[in-house]
Amino acid sequence: MWFKRNAPVLGDFEQLVLLGVLRLERQDSAYGAAIRQEIHARSGRDVSINAVYTTLDRLESKGFLKSWIGDPTPQRGGRRRKFYALRPAGIAALRQAYRVFTAMADGFQSRLELK
Amino acid sequence: MKETTNPPRLAIWLLTRRLSVEWRDFVVGDLQEEFATRSADSPASGYAWFWWQTIRCLASPPRVRPNSLLHGSSKGDSSMRNLFADLRYTFRVMSRTPSFAVAVVSVLALAISANTAIFSIVNAVVLRPLPFEEPERLVRIFTKTPDGRSFELSPGKFYDWQRDAHSFEGMAMYPCCGPRELALTGTGAARAVTVTPVSTGFFDIVRARPVLGRVFQEEEHTPGNNYVVVLSDRFWRSEFGAKPDVIGRTMKFNDEAYTIVGVMPADASVGSWSATACDVWVPLALTNEQRAARGNHNLDGVARMKRNVDLSQARAEMDAISARLAREFPKSDAGWGVLVIPMQEAIVGNSRTMLLMLLGAVGLVLLIACANVGNLLFTRGLNRRKEIAIRSALGAGRVRVFQQLFTEALALAAAGGALGVLLAYVTLKSASTLLASQVPRAEEISIDARVLLFALAVSIFTGMLAGTLPAVRAGRSELNDALKEGGRGDTTVGVGTRRLLIICEVALSLVLLMGAGVMVQSLLALRQGDAGFDPKNVLTMSVRLVHTRYPTPAQRAAFFDAVVQRIRALPGVEAAGTIDDLPFDAGSSQTLLLEGYAPQRDPAAVQARQITPGYLRAMKIPLLQGRDVVESDSEVMLVSGDAAKLYWGSDDPIGRRAALPFSKTVLRRVVGIVGDVKQRNLIDASTPTVYFYTREPGGRATFVIRTSLPPSTLVQPAVAVIHAIDQEQPVSRIRTMEQAIDGELTSQRFSALLLGIFAGIALLLAAVGIYSVLSYIVRGRSREIGIRTALGARSSDVLGLVVVEGMWPVLVGIVAGTIASLASARVIETLVFGVSASDPLTLAAVAAMLALVAMMASLVPAYRALRLDPVKVLRAE
Repeated sequence: MWFKRNAPVLGDFEQLVLLGVLRLERQDSAYGAAIRQEIHARSGRDVSINAVYTTLDRLESKGFLKSWIGDPTPQRGGRRRKFYALRPAGIAALRQAYRVFTAMADGFQSRLELK
Repeated sequence: MKETTNPPRLAIWLLTRRLSVEWRDFVVGDLQEEFATRSADSPASGYAWFWWQTIRCLASPPRVRPNSLLHGSSKGDSSMRNLFADLRYTFRVMSRTPSFAVAVVSVLALAISANTAIFSIVNAVVLRPLPFEEPERLVRIFTKTPDGRSFELSPGKFYDWQRDAHSFEGMAMYPCCGPRELALTGTGAARAVTVTPVSTGFFDIVRARPVLGRVFQEEEHTPGNNYVVVLSDRFWRSEFGAKPDVIGRTMKFNDEAYTIVGVMPADASVGSWSATACDVWVPLALTNEQRAARGNHNLDGVARMKRNVDLSQARAEMDAISARLAREFPKSDAGWGVLVIPMQEAIVGNSRTMLLMLLGAVGLVLLIACANVGNLLFTRGLNRRKEIAIRSALGAGRVRVFQQLFTEALALAAAGGALGVLLAYVTLKSASTLLASQVPRAEEISIDARVLLFALAVSIFTGMLAGTLPAVRAGRSELNDALKEGGRGDTTVGVGTRRLLIICEVALSLVLLMGAGVMVQSLLALRQGDAGFDPKNVLTMSVRLVHTRYPTPAQRAAFFDAVVQRIRALPGVEAAGTIDDLPFDAGSSQTLLLEGYAPQRDPAAVQARQITPGYLRAMKIPLLQGRDVVESDSEVMLVSGDAAKLYWGSDDPIGRRAALPFSKTVLRRVVGIVGDVKQRNLIDASTPTVYFYTREPGGRATFVIRTSLPPSTLVQPAVAVIHAIDQEQPVSRIRTMEQAIDGELTSQRFSALLLGIFAGIALLLAAVGIYSVLSYIVRGRSREIGIRTALGARSSDVLGLVVVEGMWPVLVGIVAGTIASLASARVIETLVFGVSASDPLTLAAVAAMLALVAMMASLVPAYRALRLDPVKVLRAE
């Protein structure tokens, strides 16, 4: 309900998608395929495009993201792109997730670090 | 690179079938784009990848967001979008039935504006700090009389306190009872200027720093060196056009030249404190003899506490000093104490209780408005059952329905709140002159951030209170029933809830009516109470003679005699005389020294007034024994009945002699006993008074003129008489005795008026509430009534049926209200006089009035029920 909102807790896939947007929004290229590729390239998870869009939509409805629609390009068979960017709430949620992770991992950097 | 750049057509066709329009472009476009890069490396893996992605998409495509009006938040829709959808919907619904919206918004606006207006007064008077630097450290200092009242200071005590007390940064004094008036002379026309003489350090204590020049220096506080003046900003602007070169110029007050040494900024003039609400300041210059006087209490004290000292410490220190002084000067100080009162309390005084009471009362009005609006929303909710049922059938959860109705209520409250603030602003603006005479610090009343916040909180509170119950009830309604009924009369749904609202409204109205009734009675009791004189048709005006023009008593006596003689000759004048201080104006309070009696150990003080022949007749103060003073007398006095008993006991005072120590200590013969008069105020009992007549009057007198014509018609001729004798003599405080009495009753009148308005609104709202509920019930039971009529029920039976239906919640409400008003009587007990706050007669009267109004409100629907045509009603089935 609009007057009662649970404290935002991000699922791990949500975190990946938000981080993807964060990485890409600077170059104005945070759209589904680019995010999917970014996640694939960095985390090794080959996720489906529908999962990315479902999550993007959910994050948008939670107020973490905003979106706009770009112009059609011939490369895409004349279809349009939907771009995303972080809202302050999204940044805050990411920050919170990051804080939780680093706080829990604090002191175990050497054991957890990959060689 | 030929065919390979194109993705498989079948896959794309499947995707466009499966995906919703919303997502089609983006998903397919993305896949196509990535396919292009992938197939550039290896066409086969590109195909494989595309098919793999397609299958996953077909299995679970991105969801289409559900319609926000039908579903709750569980489906993950945006909260903001939900809210806006609700607001849009509210707006649509309201514009479809504007009369409903107008009714609700205006009821709310009325209640919220009243609350906002009263709160902004409370805010300015009670909550906001005084406009001084660090106002919480400023205190006023009074002496405490043996009977515990606060009283002015005497210079002797003041200087002892100032010397010995360490709790204060500084302590200063100024003459009591408002600024003095001096005549601005040498400019041709008579003009009075208000002046406050202040002692050393006054400006430092209030932290007033001159914008031009300087404040007074130590040596200027001695007689002879005191012809210097500091101008207020207002006076500087009006008299000198804010010219910066005024310092060093001289101006004449009472024919004596004063040098301008400084100009104060505008914020040094605080209207609610008499010491700063004046045109100019001069040094208070006392002779050594005056400085030592301990018995003459005519000064006010102000002090600033040191930073690390709190009020209780300062009080304890002052009490200790006072106790020591009482031992040191048993004759003058024994039994007397000291009061240290925070500045805020000294200025606001008992207005605080009155304002908080009014805030409470206006809060009740808000509750009644909430009940009424709740009622309206509830009716509407019932009329919309079908709509709600359809939405539920389409999948809207109970929570979602509640949320939407709740949003409606809040939106209405917000509209009411916005309108209410506007209304409050307009009301306060147009009532500003009225307010100025009713409450202290009136000039500071404004709608600031705190008031706006209050209005917002009140609006939200109102919306929640009025919206919750109807929304909950509507959300609960049975889907099946609502759809089945096909929209016809939902007979008795929610009648219980609405009866409860009626009970609340009636109970709250009764409390308000009771308060208003008691207040009005108190006001009447004070107004019509016997003050000891007859205030009708009496005109008064004051003059203060310039000492340099009338240096000798004989000259002053000649002036007053001439004026009185000529006034008596005016047409319509029945009697005229003078007195130094009118009743309700503070005046001299002294102890008598009787000739031929041993001095009393602890003599009580009497009010001492200087009069001339004609005063008694002008005021119609009864002569009980002996005779009035006449022109041929010199040094005689009249005593009031209480004063005679106080000093002479059972002896007859007539013919005996007594002296008043403050004026000249001549012995004056008592020639008559007169009725007692309420000198201090209308509330306290009359005070023992002596009136003396001397041929050597001071320079100050108030003419008291009894007329047979309306007193206002005599203002012009009487002032003309004074100016015919002295062109430059200012005449001030021109008013009738009735105005003086009204001036005494401002706060009572103010609260009675506002409570009356609130009670009227409450009564109206309650009547409307009863009417609407009963109409609703009658409509619901029309079939039953029709059958009864068809079976031969008489008109009286039907009438009784409806009226009883309407009246029983009213009676329950009256009982509840009676209990509540008896419980709350304590709150206004301190504000009413001459009547008990739980006066049974008033209670009975307002209960009867409320019952009568409720009866009238229920008669209209009852009459409608009576006229129901049984044939039509039954055929409508």
